[in-house]
Amino acid sequence: MSVHHYIDAFTRYLRSGDASAMGHFCENSDHIKRLAVYRNGFYKGCVDALAANFPVCQKLLGSESFRNVARLYVDLFPPQQGTLVGYGQSFPGFLADFMSQQGAAEPSLRSLLSLNAKASASLNLADIARLDYAWLTSLMSADSDKTLTAENATILMEQGHDLARARVRLNASVLLLSVGSGSLSEWISLKIPNNDEGAQNSESSAAGFVMFWRVQGAVQARALSLAEVALMQALQGEGKGRLLGEAFDAALEVDENFEVSDVFSACLQNELLDIEML
Amino acid sequence: MPQQTVVAGDHLGAGLGLKAEHLDDILALARSPKGGATSIGDDLWFEVHTENYFVAGGPRLHYLRAIRQNYDLSFHGVGGSLGSDHQSMPAHIKQVKALIDEFQPALVSEHAVWSRSGGQYFADLMPLPRTHDALQSLIDGIDCYQSGIGRSILIENPSNYLDFTSEMDEPEFLVEAARRSGCGLLIDINNLYISSKNTGIDAFAYLSKIPAELVGELHIAGHDPDPELGQSLLIDSHAAAVDLSVWALLEQALDLFGHRPVLVERDANIPPFAELLSERQTAQRYLDQWAGKKLSLSL
Repeated sequence: MSVHHYIDAFTRYLRSGDASAMGHFCENSDHIKRLAVYRNGFYKGCVDALAANFPVCQKLLGSESFRNVARLYVDLFPPQQGTLVGYGQSFPGFLADFMSQQGAAEPSLRSLLSLNAKASASLNLADIARLDYAWLTSLMSADSDKTLTAENATILMEQGHDLARARVRLNASVLLLSVGSGSLSEWISLKIPNNDEGAQNSESSAAGFVMFWRVQGAVQARALSLAEVALMQALQGEGKGRLLGEAFDAALEVDENFEVSDVFSACLQNELLDIEML
Repeated sequence: MPQQTVVAGDHLGAGLGLKAEHLDDILALARSPKGGATSIGDDLWFEVHTENYFVAGGPRLHYLRAIRQNYDLSFHGVGGSLGSDHQSMPAHIKQVKALIDEFQPALVSEHAVWSRSGGQYFADLMPLPRTHDALQSLIDGIDCYQSGIGRSILIENPSNYLDFTSEMDEPEFLVEAARRSGCGLLIDINNLYISSKNTGIDAFAYLSKIPAELVGELHIAGHDPDPELGQSLLIDSHAAAVDLSVWALLEQALDLFGHRPVLVERDANIPPFAELLSERQTAQRYLDQWAGKKLSLSL
């Protein structure tokens, strides 16, 4: 008996539930059904990880429906790394496909996966999942030792540096994404019930651009105006970054009334920028 | 072939699995006048699942750094898949090594199982058949892991729910893996108890076959009966308090192996920190009683 044959047979069982090839490897044929403990453990671990990584999605779908949908996802996209941290990167896309196919599904499948009324009414399930994953990604992103804070901006200016000529880029925790109208306010209302501020923020962006970032260990989310989007996109990217003055010029091209001073202060306060000269 | 006596972590007493729910309680304990590692716990320590810290940054690592400032840590891997799929191990081990380099854990351990195949990770701990072929695969995996992180590890006995075709018993399999790879053994007393009930082996005879010098750590945890099959199939749930039978088996293990770090594991139905700490204090008393027995025998 080869260990490779054993693992191949076990793998087939875990993926399909077909234990026929495992008979060769079991001492007691009456005990083959006990293999289910391992298969159940596999699915439970993956589905629990998805529930943890997509909490608002689960809230919207309801626990039972979420677990049914998540189990289908595990079948199609099992984890590939030896960790479940961050598992589910393609879950939002899977949900988008799933929702578009729901109407055409067999009645029995529709029944199995029946979504609760609130989820069925939501056109934004995939967006909700993208927002969940963006929050998680920001939470786990790299720390920075080059953050441009108000304090060190003052020091740099006192030392005679022209900050408009400084190369800056967005902190690794900053994520920009575009979602459908109303998705952010729906996500915030489920994530943080009774949070009026977040809902108001989301209404200010007709285009649906959202920014996530982490400050003092806590992830924040905010809708962006088009000029703010231009600023943030100008600051995105690898390498040494963009001249700060040029980035603000990009925002001013979109909105000539853009409040450079206020937004720069907010960037410092929220630790959005990394600077190379520090 | 490497031969060694496992002594790393012999200064540790009873420890607890670190749960996110308890982070603030643990840091408060560390800050309290009697809460430092030198009073409450004499030598309280915490074990983490290494892969839970495969993150680039953020609060998860910040908390772990804060806890490391006050307590010893043990890194317990659950995704290394020592028994299979060795070609994908280097990327995994690179992340483990980065964490070890930063946190300098007192103990590093993994499982004598497989969990990856064909580029897929199955997120559970599947036992290996106890064959010479599988033994070599396990040894290759341990070699890869140990050379990748630059230190020796402990490997843990699996929970067995059924018997697979084998050419040797589990103690022989594990001892041979340890002798030939230079690793030590982490004996999970709850896994052993479960295996004994599920497959009919003699737990004490099992322990008696393990050379004490190879044992670097002991685990204890709770288990549950299978929802359908009841007591005829015990599940390694880590969702309940440690069973009296497991405490009794721990006492026998300490008599055989001597003082070893003992970890209380709890991964589901997480109780308040004080309740888990109390269970950990019970484990510490078992260690203290063993020390008392040893003292009285030597007088």
